[in-house]
Amino acid sequence: MTSKRRFAVVTDSTADLPDEWRARYGIEVVPLKVIFGNETFRDRVDMSDDEFFRRLAAASKLPTTSAPSPGEFAEVYRRLAENHDGCISIHLGAQLSATAEAARIGAESVAGFRVEVVDSQTVTMPIAFLCRVAAECETLEVATAAVEARVPKTRVLALLDTLRYLEMGGRLNRAQAMIGTMLDLKPLLLVADREIKPVERVRTRSRAISRMVDYFRGELPVEHVAVMHAQAPDEAEKVAAGLRAELPGQEVAIGKIGCVLGTHTGPKALGVVYIKK
Amino acid sequence: MDGPLFKQALLGSLNWLATNHEEVNRLNVFPVPDGDTGTNMLLTLQSAVEDIKESNAAEVSKIAKLASHGSLMGARGNSGVILSQIFRGFARAVEGKSSLTPRELAVAFEEAANAAYRAVNKPTEGTILTVAREAGRSAAAAAGDDDATVPSVIAAAAAGARAAVLKTPSQLQILRDAGVVDAGGFGLQIILEGMLKSVEEVESFQVDTTAARPKAAQIALDLPEGGWGYCTEFLIDGTNLDLDQIRNEIEALGNSVLVVGEPELVKVHVHTDDPTRVINLAGGFGKILKLNVGDMSTQHKRILDSESAAGRPPRANGVGLVAVVAGPGLVEIFRGLGVDAIVEGGQTMNPSTQDMLTAVDGVPYNEVVLLPNNGNVILAASQVAGLTKKKVHVIETRSVPQGVAAVVAFRPERGGADNAAAMKAEAARIQTIEVTHAVRDTRSNGLKVKKGDVIGLINDKLEFAGADYAEVVNKALGKLGPDAYELVTVYRGQGASDDEMANLESAIRSNFPGLEVEVQQGGQQHYPFILSVE
Repeated sequence: MTSKRRFAVVTDSTADLPDEWRARYGIEVVPLKVIFGNETFRDRVDMSDDEFFRRLAAASKLPTTSAPSPGEFAEVYRRLAENHDGCISIHLGAQLSATAEAARIGAESVAGFRVEVVDSQTVTMPIAFLCRVAAECETLEVATAAVEARVPKTRVLALLDTLRYLEMGGRLNRAQAMIGTMLDLKPLLLVADREIKPVERVRTRSRAISRMVDYFRGELPVEHVAVMHAQAPDEAEKVAAGLRAELPGQEVAIGKIGCVLGTHTGPKALGVVYIKK
Repeated sequence: MDGPLFKQALLGSLNWLATNHEEVNRLNVFPVPDGDTGTNMLLTLQSAVEDIKESNAAEVSKIAKLASHGSLMGARGNSGVILSQIFRGFARAVEGKSSLTPRELAVAFEEAANAAYRAVNKPTEGTILTVAREAGRSAAAAAGDDDATVPSVIAAAAAGARAAVLKTPSQLQILRDAGVVDAGGFGLQIILEGMLKSVEEVESFQVDTTAARPKAAQIALDLPEGGWGYCTEFLIDGTNLDLDQIRNEIEALGNSVLVVGEPELVKVHVHTDDPTRVINLAGGFGKILKLNVGDMSTQHKRILDSESAAGRPPRANGVGLVAVVAGPGLVEIFRGLGVDAIVEGGQTMNPSTQDMLTAVDGVPYNEVVLLPNNGNVILAASQVAGLTKKKVHVIETRSVPQGVAAVVAFRPERGGADNAAAMKAEAARIQTIEVTHAVRDTRSNGLKVKKGDVIGLINDKLEFAGADYAEVVNKALGKLGPDAYELVTVYRGQGASDDEMANLESAIRSNFPGLEVEVQQGGQQHYPFILSVE
């Protein structure tokens, strides 16, 4: 399948692209970075998820994250230019990270190689879904159109065990989200339309999970769906099994949240991510 | 009975209730520091009489109308709200009449009782409702006599009330157990007796205006830039006053406008930035009386915290949140969850309809969800909807935990009606355990309780008594069945020491290892602990 294609698909490590898809479609993954003190790690390259969350829990100071540099993107594009006519480069939402911008600048420095940079407006596996959609297209034009049509339909429903990480990373304004600092709330967040907004505030985890699934039901039909988790494999498996039973014929993947996203979600995050039809 | 006589009767009843309201308070049947029935009725009656003091209306209908409106605006607590409905029914019955025959007075008493019954969802016998009805029946019987007079009809009403009050313990188990009569019914009896005293006496009563107005519930509102302006209240005394015209002209100068009364006397209430302009305008209609201008910014500032008002963008659904709550920690929790205005009040300080109306009118949204958070506040809260132009959804939360659950379920993207339905459903899921001390010896719900005992109430119902907090909470959680729940939130009140808090927390953790425990500083009075179980 890949042999026919003359364009490459590029993404970044926050797509949480399953290894199997990466191998099957030959997708390039550019890593973001996680910085613990003065140590820098490439997301999903230098450190495993398990190792990362162990360190996150033990760290006295939260790690920071950073986008790949334009130069790193340029390097990837230059390498791809050797045996491709062009590429589609699909990235983490520009409202959350400078990654897409870095890709755009990097692309400009590679003369004669066509790069379609797409701001996915989202995080985690919806980006992987977009990559798969692109990889299954015949031409770069068709792929770009197909991906851009789906960008507004990407959704991430996330249940965080604590808002501490998201807030410290500057990605959430509690006052805006109507989430006080006093009570231990389990907010259900929705990433859609370039925003992170709370859709529901719940006090216990089991109710929050059932609310998340309820909300998802209201979003059907969907084209792709996956259950994401950070260090919560049993709950993810349970939610996925429930969805598979409800949606016969629908592939329900389970994905693991990587280090960069994990820095903001913290451990025990659980999500249902999808692309609406 | 004409206007001046009815006015005199009401002033007399206020005087008599002011003298006796402590006795009404002491009749609290429940062994918890309950809603201050006597104080609530007194405040309601004071508000009813306030406008009347200024009125020289000759017609009984006008005095009755002022009493009806004033009591509605000042209604506090269940008994106060029912009292306001009694005045309302009376005013309807005498509409258009300049004076009442004994027969018509009796009919008005009966209609007053009917109105009160209609106002209550589930009328309970053995309460103020029964007393009002019996007073009306007794008055009607007396009015049938050939030589019936106004005093004889009032005397019969008072006697009927007294007899009905004495019978209340046979109608209500909790009264029987506690060995008391119904407080609200007794309050009504006092009011009728006060009327009788004043109409019988030749010289009119000197009303004790120095009787200190008990502490009003305070309202904490988000303070907009430039403040709230001035709460401006006055009466216009004139002839052929056109209420609609006055209302229209004043509405252009402020908000929360109330223009009520008669063509001869109009009461105006407005929140405005320019009181001088309002007064000048009103002065063109007639003579200004009883002018009262209060700077609302200074009234409200001290209860505001810095974090709340700033940085909150307008809400997408255009729905505001108002909650009744007391205790610094609880206020903070409700604010943190997005509540726009807090009306301070609760178990022992029932806010009035007016307090809640002011808060509802003060939030910058045209649709408002109102959370009473106490069983004794629900009725007064439910009156607010009829007094404001805003759309008001009252969620009948009976406790702080129910209120928290309701607010947590609020979603800023969802419309008012859908939010109200979801909030109601969430509140209903919550089990509330309240822990306090009995204020008197009593028997209730089959339990014998001594003054000072620790008592535990599950959803407002006394279930357990014991020597210490942990013991009572253990029993209460055991009764609820811990397997059905995940999380216990403990709101620690003012009366709980660090040791007591630590003991309770470790007792819950060791006895119910399956439950998550979260401790919050509530700072509420009277209840050392309030627990939310979900």
